[in-house]
Amino acid sequence: MRVTVAVAGEDTREVEVEEGATYADLLDPLPYSTHEVSVLVDGRPVPEDAPVETEEVEVLRLVKGG
Amino acid sequence: MDCDKCGDEAVMHAAYSGLHLCDEHFRRTVETRVRRRVREDNLVPRSATPDDPETWVVGLSGGKDSVVLTQVLHDTFEEDPRVELVALSIHEGIEGYRDESLAACEELTTDLDIRHEVVSYAEEFGVQMDDVVEDDPEGMAACAYCGVFRRDVLERYAEELGADKLFTGHNLDDEAQTALMNLFEGDVQQMASHYGASLGPFPAEDRDGNPVDEPVDPTERTRRPQDHHVPRAKPLRDVPEKEVALYAHLEDLPAHITECPHAEEAYRGEIQGLLLGMEDKHPGTRHSVMAGYEKLAALAASAFGAAEPDEYGECDECGAPTGRAVCRKCDLLDALEAV
Repeated sequence: MRVTVAVAGEDTREVEVEEGATYADLLDPLPYSTHEVSVLVDGRPVPEDAPVETEEVEVLRLVKGG
Repeated sequence: MDCDKCGDEAVMHAAYSGLHLCDEHFRRTVETRVRRRVREDNLVPRSATPDDPETWVVGLSGGKDSVVLTQVLHDTFEEDPRVELVALSIHEGIEGYRDESLAACEELTTDLDIRHEVVSYAEEFGVQMDDVVEDDPEGMAACAYCGVFRRDVLERYAEELGADKLFTGHNLDDEAQTALMNLFEGDVQQMASHYGASLGPFPAEDRDGNPVDEPVDPTERTRRPQDHHVPRAKPLRDVPEKEVALYAHLEDLPAHITECPHAEEAYRGEIQGLLLGMEDKHPGTRHSVMAGYEKLAALAASAFGAAEPDEYGECDECGAPTGRAVCRKCDLLDALEAV
Protein backbone atom coordinates (compact mmCIF):
# COMPACT_ATOMS: atom_id res chain seq x y z
CA MET A 1 0.00 0.00 0.00
CA ARG A 2 1.01 3.58 -0.65
CA VAL A 3 1.01 6.13 2.18
CA THR A 4 1.62 9.86 2.04
CA VAL A 5 4.14 10.80 4.74
CA ALA A 6 4.42 14.52 5.46
CA VAL A 7 7.24 15.59 7.73
CA ALA A 8 6.07 18.79 9.45
CA GLY A 9 8.14 21.74 8.25
CA GLU A 10 9.95 19.57 5.70
CA ASP A 11 9.08 17.54 2.62
CA THR A 12 6.23 15.16 1.83
CA ARG A 13 6.82 11.80 0.23
CA GLU A 14 4.99 8.66 -0.82
CA VAL A 15 6.07 5.52 1.00
CA GLU A 16 5.25 2.04 -0.26
CA VAL A 17 4.76 -0.56 2.49
CA GLU A 18 3.42 -4.10 2.74
CA GLU A 19 -0.11 -4.76 3.94
CA GLY A 20 0.03 -5.06 7.75
CA ALA A 21 3.05 -2.75 8.04
CA THR A 22 3.34 -0.59 11.17
CA TYR A 23 3.71 3.17 11.50
CA ALA A 24 7.34 2.57 12.46
CA ASP A 25 7.84 0.96 9.03
CA LEU A 26 6.76 4.24 7.42
CA LEU A 27 9.78 5.90 9.06
CA ASP A 28 12.29 3.48 7.53
CA PRO A 29 13.12 5.64 4.49
CA LEU A 30 13.35 8.75 6.70
CA PRO A 31 16.50 9.80 8.57
CA TYR A 32 14.64 9.70 11.90
CA SER A 33 14.19 6.96 14.47
CA THR A 34 10.95 6.37 16.35
CA HIS A 35 12.60 8.07 19.33
CA GLU A 36 12.94 11.36 17.50
CA VAL A 37 9.50 11.76 15.96
CA SER A 38 5.82 11.13 16.58
CA VAL A 39 3.49 9.86 13.87
CA LEU A 40 0.16 11.68 13.74
CA VAL A 41 -3.02 10.46 12.07
CA ASP A 42 -5.62 13.21 11.76
CA GLY A 43 -3.58 15.24 14.20
CA ARG A 44 -3.58 12.49 16.82
CA PRO A 45 -0.42 10.58 17.84
CA VAL A 46 -0.51 6.83 17.20
CA PRO A 47 1.62 4.01 18.69
CA GLU A 48 4.43 3.23 16.25
CA ASP A 49 3.87 -0.52 16.53
CA ALA A 50 0.23 -0.24 15.40
CA PRO A 51 -0.68 -1.42 11.86
CA VAL A 52 -1.10 1.36 9.31
CA GLU A 53 -4.79 2.05 8.76
CA THR A 54 -4.65 5.28 6.81
CA GLU A 55 -3.34 6.69 3.57
CA GLU A 56 -1.89 9.83 5.06
CA VAL A 57 0.25 10.52 8.11
CA GLU A 58 2.08 13.51 9.50
CA VAL A 59 5.48 13.10 11.14
CA LEU A 60 6.32 15.54 13.89
CA ARG A 61 10.00 16.07 14.65
CA LEU A 62 10.79 16.35 18.34
CA VAL A 63 14.20 17.98 18.11
CA LYS A 64 16.26 19.42 20.92
CA GLY A 65 15.28 22.83 22.15
CA GLY A 66 17.80 23.73 24.85
CA MET B 1 -4.50 -0.30 19.54
CA ASP B 2 -6.06 0.08 22.96
CA CYS B 3 -4.74 1.61 26.17
CA ASP B 4 -3.59 -1.12 28.57
CA LYS B 5 -5.12 0.80 31.47
CA CYS B 6 -8.59 1.67 30.19
CA GLY B 7 -9.17 0.38 26.68
CA ASP B 8 -9.40 3.81 25.03
CA GLU B 9 -7.44 4.43 21.88
CA ALA B 10 -3.67 4.44 22.56
CA VAL B 11 -1.52 7.41 21.53
CA MET B 12 1.84 5.82 22.29
CA HIS B 13 3.75 2.60 22.84
CA ALA B 14 6.60 2.43 25.34
CA ALA B 15 8.71 -0.46 24.08
CA TYR B 16 10.74 -0.54 27.34
CA SER B 17 7.63 -1.31 29.41
CA GLY B 18 5.52 -2.93 26.70
CA LEU B 19 2.64 -0.59 27.55
CA HIS B 20 0.25 1.10 25.16
CA LEU B 21 -1.31 4.18 26.74
CA CYS B 22 -4.12 6.58 25.85
CA ASP B 23 -3.75 10.35 26.02
CA GLU B 24 -4.92 10.59 29.61
CA HIS B 25 -3.05 7.61 31.06
CA PHE B 26 0.12 8.58 29.24
CA ARG B 27 0.03 12.11 30.65
CA ARG B 28 -0.69 10.72 34.09
CA THR B 29 2.39 8.46 33.97
CA VAL B 30 4.62 11.42 33.08
CA GLU B 31 3.31 13.36 36.07
CA THR B 32 3.64 10.31 38.31
CA ARG B 33 7.28 9.79 37.32
CA VAL B 34 8.17 13.42 38.08
CA ARG B 35 6.39 13.32 41.45
CA ARG B 36 7.98 10.03 42.38
CA ARG B 37 11.40 11.47 41.63
CA VAL B 38 10.63 14.57 43.73
CA ARG B 39 9.70 12.25 46.59
CA GLU B 40 12.53 9.75 46.22
CA ASP B 41 15.15 12.46 45.98
CA ASN B 42 13.70 14.13 49.12
CA LEU B 43 13.42 17.44 47.28
CA VAL B 44 10.93 18.90 49.78
CA PRO B 45 12.62 19.04 53.18
CA ARG B 46 10.67 18.96 56.45
CA SER B 47 12.03 22.40 57.22
CA ALA B 48 9.89 23.86 54.43
CA THR B 49 6.77 25.38 55.95
CA PRO B 50 4.09 27.79 54.72
CA ASP B 51 5.84 30.52 56.76
CA ASP B 52 9.28 29.59 55.52
CA PRO B 53 8.79 27.98 52.10
CA GLU B 54 11.45 26.56 49.79
CA THR B 55 12.23 28.63 46.73
CA TRP B 56 12.71 26.56 43.60
CA VAL B 57 14.21 28.38 40.65
CA VAL B 58 13.46 26.62 37.37
CA GLY B 59 15.76 27.23 34.41
CA LEU B 60 13.17 27.93 31.70
CA SER B 61 14.45 28.06 28.12
CA GLY B 62 11.09 27.76 26.40
CA GLY B 63 12.09 24.39 24.91
CA LYS B 64 9.85 21.39 25.54
CA ASP B 65 11.84 19.98 28.49
CA SER B 66 11.87 23.05 30.72
CA VAL B 67 8.31 23.96 29.73
CA VAL B 68 7.00 20.51 30.71
CA LEU B 69 9.02 20.56 33.95
CA THR B 70 7.65 23.99 34.89
CA GLN B 71 4.08 22.93 34.09
CA VAL B 72 4.24 19.67 36.08
CA LEU B 73 5.97 21.29 39.08
CA HIS B 74 3.38 24.04 39.02
CA ASP B 75 0.48 21.57 38.90
CA THR B 76 2.02 19.51 41.68
CA PHE B 77 2.79 22.36 44.07
CA GLU B 78 0.19 24.96 43.14
CA GLU B 79 -1.78 24.27 46.31
CA ASP B 80 1.29 23.55 48.43
CA PRO B 81 2.42 26.63 50.38
CA ARG B 82 5.76 25.00 51.23
CA VAL B 83 7.14 25.52 47.74
CA GLU B 84 7.46 28.68 45.66
CA LEU B 85 8.42 28.49 42.00
CA VAL B 86 10.37 31.17 40.14
CA ALA B 87 11.22 30.81 36.44
CA LEU B 88 14.58 32.07 35.19
CA SER B 89 15.27 32.51 31.46
CA ILE B 90 18.43 33.48 29.65
CA HIS B 91 18.76 35.44 26.43
CA GLU B 92 22.06 34.37 24.90
CA GLY B 93 21.89 36.78 21.99
CA ILE B 94 20.91 34.31 19.27
CA GLU B 95 18.97 36.16 16.61
CA GLY B 96 15.66 34.64 15.58
CA TYR B 97 15.94 31.74 18.01
CA ARG B 98 15.80 32.95 21.56
CA ASP B 99 13.23 35.69 20.92
CA GLU B 100 10.67 33.07 19.95
CA SER B 101 11.41 30.73 22.80
CA LEU B 102 11.26 33.63 25.27
CA ALA B 103 7.79 34.38 23.94
CA ALA B 104 6.90 30.78 24.87
CA CYS B 105 8.32 31.37 28.37
CA GLU B 106 6.28 34.56 28.76
CA GLU B 107 3.11 32.79 27.67
CA LEU B 108 3.64 29.87 30.04
CA THR B 109 4.55 31.91 33.11
CA THR B 110 1.66 34.30 32.49
CA ASP B 111 -0.75 31.35 32.16
CA LEU B 112 0.57 29.77 35.34
CA ASP B 113 1.02 33.05 37.19
CA ILE B 114 4.66 32.31 38.07
CA ARG B 115 7.28 34.97 38.69
CA HIS B 116 9.56 35.12 35.65
CA GLU B 117 13.03 36.70 35.41
CA VAL B 118 14.95 37.14 32.16
CA VAL B 119 18.70 37.71 32.10
CA SER B 120 20.79 38.38 28.99
CA TYR B 121 24.43 37.73 28.16
CA ALA B 122 24.43 41.21 26.62
CA GLU B 123 23.60 42.88 29.93
CA GLU B 124 25.62 40.49 32.07
CA PHE B 125 28.77 40.15 30.00
CA GLY B 126 28.43 42.59 27.10
CA VAL B 127 28.48 39.71 24.60
CA GLN B 128 26.02 38.04 22.23
CA MET B 129 26.40 34.38 21.28
CA ASP B 130 26.03 35.26 17.59
CA ASP B 131 29.22 37.38 17.87
CA VAL B 132 31.01 34.89 20.12
CA VAL B 133 30.56 32.24 17.41
CA GLU B 134 32.06 34.62 14.82
CA ASP B 135 35.07 35.62 16.95
CA ASP B 136 35.70 32.21 18.55
CA PRO B 137 39.05 33.13 20.17
CA GLU B 138 39.49 29.71 21.80
CA GLY B 139 38.63 27.59 18.75
CA MET B 140 35.76 25.88 20.61
CA ALA B 141 32.21 24.80 19.84
CA ALA B 142 29.54 27.42 20.52
CA CYS B 143 28.04 25.27 23.28
CA ALA B 144 31.35 25.32 25.17
CA TYR B 145 31.23 29.12 25.57
CA CYS B 146 27.49 29.19 26.07
CA GLY B 147 27.60 26.50 28.77
CA VAL B 148 30.16 28.42 30.82
CA PHE B 149 28.16 31.65 30.57
CA ARG B 150 24.89 29.85 31.30
CA ARG B 151 26.20 28.17 34.44
CA ASP B 152 27.51 31.49 35.71
CA VAL B 153 24.19 33.28 35.15
CA LEU B 154 22.01 30.47 36.49
CA GLU B 155 24.16 30.13 39.57
CA ARG B 156 24.32 33.84 40.39
CA TYR B 157 20.67 34.59 39.73
CA ALA B 158 19.46 31.46 41.50
CA GLU B 159 21.34 32.72 44.53
CA GLU B 160 20.03 36.25 44.12
CA LEU B 161 16.47 34.95 43.88
CA GLY B 162 16.99 33.07 47.14
CA ALA B 163 16.88 29.63 45.53
CA ASP B 164 17.09 26.60 47.79
CA LYS B 165 17.35 24.47 44.67
CA LEU B 166 17.90 25.05 40.99
CA PHE B 167 15.77 22.87 38.69
CA THR B 168 16.62 21.98 35.12
CA GLY B 169 14.63 20.01 32.55
CA HIS B 170 17.15 17.27 31.75
CA ASN B 171 15.32 14.21 30.44
CA LEU B 172 16.30 10.52 30.41
CA ASP B 173 18.09 10.78 27.06
CA ASP B 174 20.15 13.79 28.22
CA GLU B 175 21.26 12.05 31.39
CA ALA B 176 21.95 8.68 29.76
CA GLN B 177 24.10 10.48 27.16
CA THR B 178 26.06 12.28 29.87
CA ALA B 179 26.48 8.98 31.72
CA LEU B 180 27.91 7.25 28.65
CA MET B 181 30.12 10.24 27.81
CA ASN B 182 31.65 10.13 31.28
CA LEU B 183 32.08 6.37 31.00
CA PHE B 184 33.64 6.47 27.51
CA GLU B 185 35.93 9.29 28.56
CA GLY B 186 36.88 7.27 31.63
CA ASP B 187 36.15 10.26 33.81
CA VAL B 188 35.36 8.75 37.21
CA GLN B 189 35.96 12.05 39.02
CA GLN B 190 33.32 13.62 36.79
CA MET B 191 30.87 10.82 37.70
CA ALA B 192 31.41 11.60 41.37
CA SER B 193 30.81 15.31 40.75
CA HIS B 194 27.72 14.57 38.66
CA TYR B 195 26.33 12.53 41.56
CA GLY B 196 27.13 15.13 44.18
CA ALA B 197 25.84 18.06 42.13
CA SER B 198 22.54 16.77 40.77
CA LEU B 199 21.86 13.02 40.88
CA GLY B 200 22.18 11.99 44.51
CA PRO B 201 19.09 12.17 46.74
CA PHE B 202 18.99 14.78 49.48
CA PRO B 203 19.35 13.33 52.98
CA ALA B 204 16.15 11.86 54.39
CA GLU B 205 14.67 13.32 57.57
CA ASP B 206 12.40 11.95 60.27
CA ARG B 207 9.05 13.57 60.95
CA ASP B 208 10.64 16.21 63.18
CA GLY B 209 13.10 17.17 60.47
CA ASN B 210 16.07 15.51 62.11
CA PRO B 211 18.48 13.69 59.82
CA VAL B 212 18.08 9.92 59.75
CA ASP B 213 20.98 7.49 59.43
CA GLU B 214 22.71 7.37 56.08
CA PRO B 215 21.57 4.30 54.03
CA VAL B 216 23.83 1.30 54.67
CA ASP B 217 23.99 0.50 50.95
CA PRO B 218 26.81 2.69 49.57
CA THR B 219 25.08 2.90 46.17
CA GLU B 220 22.25 4.80 47.90
CA ARG B 221 24.53 7.47 49.28
CA THR B 222 22.85 10.83 49.86
CA ARG B 223 24.17 14.11 48.60
CA ARG B 224 26.53 16.19 50.73
CA PRO B 225 25.85 19.90 51.14
CA GLN B 226 27.98 22.06 48.83
CA ASP B 227 28.42 25.57 50.07
CA HIS B 228 29.75 26.93 46.78
CA HIS B 229 26.81 25.95 44.58
CA VAL B 230 23.02 26.06 44.69
CA PRO B 231 22.00 22.38 44.65
CA ARG B 232 20.54 21.15 41.36
CA ALA B 233 17.51 18.95 40.83
CA LYS B 234 16.40 17.14 37.67
CA PRO B 235 13.09 15.42 38.38
CA LEU B 236 12.32 14.93 34.66
CA ARG B 237 15.22 12.57 34.26
CA ASP B 238 13.17 9.36 34.28
CA VAL B 239 11.14 10.43 31.26
CA PRO B 240 12.48 9.74 27.73
CA GLU B 241 12.90 12.80 25.53
CA LYS B 242 10.23 11.70 23.10
CA GLU B 243 7.68 11.34 25.88
CA VAL B 244 8.49 14.83 27.17
CA ALA B 245 7.82 16.17 23.67
CA LEU B 246 4.63 14.12 23.37
CA TYR B 247 3.42 15.46 26.71
CA ALA B 248 4.04 19.03 25.55
CA HIS B 249 2.14 18.28 22.34
CA LEU B 250 -0.85 16.63 24.06
CA GLU B 251 -1.06 19.35 26.72
CA ASP B 252 -0.74 21.96 23.98
CA LEU B 253 2.00 23.72 25.93
CA PRO B 254 3.70 26.76 24.42
CA ALA B 255 7.01 24.99 23.78
CA HIS B 256 9.42 26.24 21.15
CA ILE B 257 10.69 23.24 19.21
CA THR B 258 13.55 24.42 17.05
CA GLU B 259 17.18 23.48 17.34
CA CYS B 260 19.62 26.20 18.33
CA PRO B 261 21.35 27.38 15.10
CA HIS B 262 24.75 27.14 16.78
CA ALA B 263 24.24 23.65 18.25
CA GLU B 264 27.20 21.43 17.39
CA GLU B 265 27.85 18.98 20.15
CA ALA B 266 29.33 16.38 17.81
CA TYR B 267 30.36 13.85 20.45
CA ARG B 268 27.04 13.98 22.26
CA GLY B 269 25.29 13.46 18.91
CA GLU B 270 27.32 10.32 18.26
CA ILE B 271 26.49 8.97 21.69
CA GLN B 272 22.82 9.73 21.16
CA GLY B 273 22.85 7.78 17.87
CA LEU B 274 24.53 4.87 19.58
CA LEU B 275 22.14 4.90 22.51
CA LEU B 276 19.01 5.04 20.36
CA GLY B 277 20.35 2.21 18.19
CA MET B 278 20.79 0.09 21.32
CA GLU B 279 17.38 1.15 22.61
CA ASP B 280 15.76 -0.10 19.38
CA LYS B 281 17.41 -3.50 19.67
CA HIS B 282 17.20 -3.73 23.46
CA PRO B 283 14.32 -1.63 24.80
CA GLY B 284 15.07 -0.33 28.28
CA THR B 285 18.76 0.33 27.62
CA ARG B 286 18.55 4.01 28.62
CA HIS B 287 16.83 3.12 31.90
CA SER B 288 19.36 0.42 32.76
CA VAL B 289 22.32 2.60 31.79
CA MET B 290 21.07 5.27 34.18
CA ALA B 291 20.21 2.85 36.99
CA GLY B 292 23.68 1.31 36.86
CA TYR B 293 25.47 4.62 36.34
CA GLU B 294 23.80 6.21 39.36
CA LYS B 295 25.09 3.38 41.53
CA LEU B 296 28.60 3.65 40.08
CA ALA B 297 28.53 7.42 40.48
CA ALA B 298 27.42 7.00 44.11
CA LEU B 299 30.34 4.65 44.76
CA ALA B 300 32.70 7.10 43.06
CA ALA B 301 31.31 9.92 45.20
CA SER B 302 31.85 7.80 48.34
CA ALA B 303 35.39 6.93 47.30
CA PHE B 304 36.32 10.52 46.51
CA GLY B 305 34.22 11.89 49.36
CA ALA B 306 36.94 11.80 52.01
CA ALA B 307 39.45 13.37 49.63
CA GLU B 308 37.15 16.19 48.68
CA PRO B 309 38.29 19.20 50.70
CA ASP B 310 36.67 22.42 49.70
CA GLU B 311 39.30 23.82 47.40
CA TYR B 312 36.93 26.43 46.10
CA GLY B 313 38.08 30.00 46.34
CA GLU B 314 36.88 33.18 44.72
CA CYS B 315 37.70 34.35 41.22
CA ASP B 316 40.22 37.24 41.34
CA GLU B 317 38.20 39.12 38.72
CA CYS B 318 34.52 38.55 39.49
CA GLY B 319 34.42 36.83 42.89
CA ALA B 320 32.52 33.79 41.60
CA PRO B 321 33.30 30.48 43.32
CA THR B 322 36.07 28.70 41.42
CA GLY B 323 38.86 26.20 41.96
CA ARG B 324 41.20 28.45 39.93
CA ALA B 325 42.65 31.94 40.35
CA VAL B 326 40.46 33.36 37.56
CA CYS B 327 37.21 31.57 36.72
CA ARG B 328 36.58 30.05 33.31
CA LYS B 329 33.94 32.64 32.48
CA CYS B 330 36.35 35.54 33.07
CA ASP B 331 38.98 33.67 31.02
CA LEU B 332 36.61 33.45 28.08
CA LEU B 333 35.44 37.06 28.43
CA ASP B 334 39.09 38.22 28.49
CA ALA B 335 39.80 36.20 25.35
CA LEU B 336 36.75 37.69 23.61
CA GLU B 337 37.81 41.17 24.70
CA ALA B 338 41.23 40.64 23.11
CA VAL B 339 39.77 39.79 19.66
